Amino acid sequence: MGRPGKFLLGGSGLLNRSTVNKRLPYILLAPSVIILLALILYPLGFALRNSFWFWNLQTSPMPLYHSGWDNFRMVFLVTPFSEALKNTLLLAGLGTFAQFWLGMGIALLLHTHLRGMGLMRAVLIMPTTLAPVVAGFLFRYLLEPKGGILPWLLKGLGVPVPPQGFLGNAGTALFSIGLVDTWQWTPFFAIVLYAGLLSISEEIKEAAQVDGASGWRMFWSVTLPLLRPIAAFLVMIRFMQLFNSFDLVYVLTNGGPGTASRTLSFNLYREGLVNYNIGLTAAMTWLVVIIVSIIINLYLFFVFRKREW
Amino acid sequence: MSKDRLSRRDFLRMSGAAGAALAGASPLGNLARVAAQTDTTINVLTVGDPWDLALQSVTDQFTEMTGITVNIESLGYTALQARLVNAFLTQSADADVIAVDQMWISQYADNGWIRSLDDFIAMDSDAHFDDFVPECLYSLSTWRNHVWTLPIASYAQGIMYRTDLFEAAGLDLLPASVADAGDWTWEDYFGILDQINGMDLDGTSMYGTTVIGAQPVPVVHMYTQLAASYGTRWFTQFPEAPWDFSPTINSDANTAALHDWLKLYAASPPESINYLWFDAGTRFSQGDIGMFYHWTPYFYLVNNEGYLTGTPSPVVDKFETAVLPTMSAGGDQVVSLGGWSLGMPSTSANQDAAWQFIKWATGSEGQKAMGQVNVKGHQFADFSRKSNYEDADLNAIYPFLGTQLEMMKLGDGKVVRPPAPIYTSLEGVYGLQINQAMTGAVTPEQALATTQTLFQNILSGNQMIPYGVESFDDTLENTKALIASLSGM
Repeated sequence: MGRPGKFLLGGSGLLNRSTVNKRLPYILLAPSVIILLALILYPLGFALRNSFWFWNLQTSPMPLYHSGWDNFRMVFLVTPFSEALKNTLLLAGLGTFAQFWLGMGIALLLHTHLRGMGLMRAVLIMPTTLAPVVAGFLFRYLLEPKGGILPWLLKGLGVPVPPQGFLGNAGTALFSIGLVDTWQWTPFFAIVLYAGLLSISEEIKEAAQVDGASGWRMFWSVTLPLLRPIAAFLVMIRFMQLFNSFDLVYVLTNGGPGTASRTLSFNLYREGLVNYNIGLTAAMTWLVVIIVSIIINLYLFFVFRKREW
Repeated sequence: MSKDRLSRRDFLRMSGAAGAALAGASPLGNLARVAAQTDTTINVLTVGDPWDLALQSVTDQFTEMTGITVNIESLGYTALQARLVNAFLTQSADADVIAVDQMWISQYADNGWIRSLDDFIAMDSDAHFDDFVPECLYSLSTWRNHVWTLPIASYAQGIMYRTDLFEAAGLDLLPASVADAGDWTWEDYFGILDQINGMDLDGTSMYGTTVIGAQPVPVVHMYTQLAASYGTRWFTQFPEAPWDFSPTINSDANTAALHDWLKLYAASPPESINYLWFDAGTRFSQGDIGMFYHWTPYFYLVNNEGYLTGTPSPVVDKFETAVLPTMSAGGDQVVSLGGWSLGMPSTSANQDAAWQFIKWATGSEGQKAMGQVNVKGHQFADFSRKSNYEDADLNAIYPFLGTQLEMMKLGDGKVVRPPAPIYTSLEGVYGLQINQAMTGAVTPEQALATTQTLFQNILSGNQMIPYGVESFDDTLENTKALIASLSGM
């Protein structure tokens, strides 16, 4: 054993204080990194393995044989994958866009310190606290073509309502799902962006005003750039959530009519929990992971290419 | 089975007796001592269908008789299947009795998740196995010449129509019996629809009919009845051996059926494209539908204004039931026969008690008790036993039982919706394509061509074309022979 304090571990002299200091952060971080990797990599690895095996619980409780790329081919041959991908991108893209700008508008309104804004903040958060299934059932009744309040109101305003109802019409089913999601999640954007607005220093705004910026110019050139980090992450998170939309689709339309509101997550549910084709579902999962990863990494690249994050 | 050979029942009786003598306490040997099974509790996992309400209402009677306590848990359809499959895979099934959809039998049996009931039936004369309507057992409970479950609720399909509307339109009442059906055809059915669709009845503009249009499962349940009547078959050869699952879904018969299905939809409320089973039933009970066909439980469910609400509907005493028409006058009919049955997980630790419950709940007395439950109206007439159909008390409550039994006897659940392995996947794409045709996105010809291709891909991808596993000649005749064998006849 060496002198106290010089060697912390053992008597070999390999781990002196400076070595320990250098490695300590890694040692301390190691358990959480290992757990995190295990939680992420194990399921993905398990799914990857299964994606190359024929395993359908309708015919066998165990994987039967190595099937090469068959499951990936089957994704395109027997499931409405391309329709679901198109719908998912539409829902996620348009939904995120609408929710961001509506949320921004509400946040700016909240920031005006008009009377009643405190109450509005409290009320705003309420839809976000509802489970999507509950919101889905609520709107299913509101959109019911025979007696639902929304078709009745719209008809009263002269807006044409499809005879099959908004949820039964191929042209409006996906839009209706997006509408319900927007109703539920726009307040989330509003609250977080409002917090972002509060964090912008008054001095910066005053300096911009001194330099002649006001109104829209102030918003586009000062406020929005300063909100960019928060907004970018918000958009990313909501896009990913919307990309995985399932609850509302399940409750409102069950993916129909036809494939009009099928999403990738709904396809996964059908293949995994209805048809019990584990191999096919694993292959589809990996395709979805790849697609989402490409989109998110491209997004991060363009949004943060000039910044460290 | 010939009389001069040792019957299965005799063999099992002898071997069971010998086993009991040797082992002292074999599970089958305990069957005679059921009344003493106090302190036994069994868990029953069921689905939240109307029959489940009736069952829960009478389970106390079973406990009083046997001392066996019954815990019933009801789940939704998908949740039940998910729970069962996960429990079986992880070998953590905690249920002693489970409700089984007819389409799950092959999966559960082939995977060894449920145990055959052959031995129990053969050893227990109280089962009165030969009292079951053979078509019900054939459609719901048998697979590869074994009985895996016993029917708790059997559904055929039949017609409900508004007698007041028919009277206003000057139409004759529809036949309630096959003997009276004469030349009652689908052509006549569509002719009536043309006449009543859009008619005004006491200030209500009537729809001719309503469809169950939601994809994928609900629309398949209704559409396949029409398609089967028109002669559609899913595969080249099934259930007769040798099985050949090459799809035959894109046939002239099915094309004609899908064209006519779109005519039905044209005479239905437009929103019925998204209707589930109970949506269609509820719509009829609300009073603006002239005539439709559906599963037979709706013969009594439509007496409620909503689904199991207990509030009488406006159509009470204004509708009648009728038999389904045939494709051609006097032609063959095949009726969709579906429903639920009770099975026993292989992992059950209380198999004797579980059998007692299955026997009682599917037995004549248990079924009658369920049929007499009057909570929010009488809500169970889905009998599978001949004795229940002949019961005067039940006929007084459910006057349509004669019609229902005739539809049952024309039922063939293995042809209309064949419970072949991977049926669920096939049903998924079939229902989606029918629904696509209803949206107008594709023509019937395109929908069926796509279905045929998808069937071929799914069946090939799942190693079912060519079918490498041994086939079984799964005919009604063989089920009747099995019934005779297990009943010791």
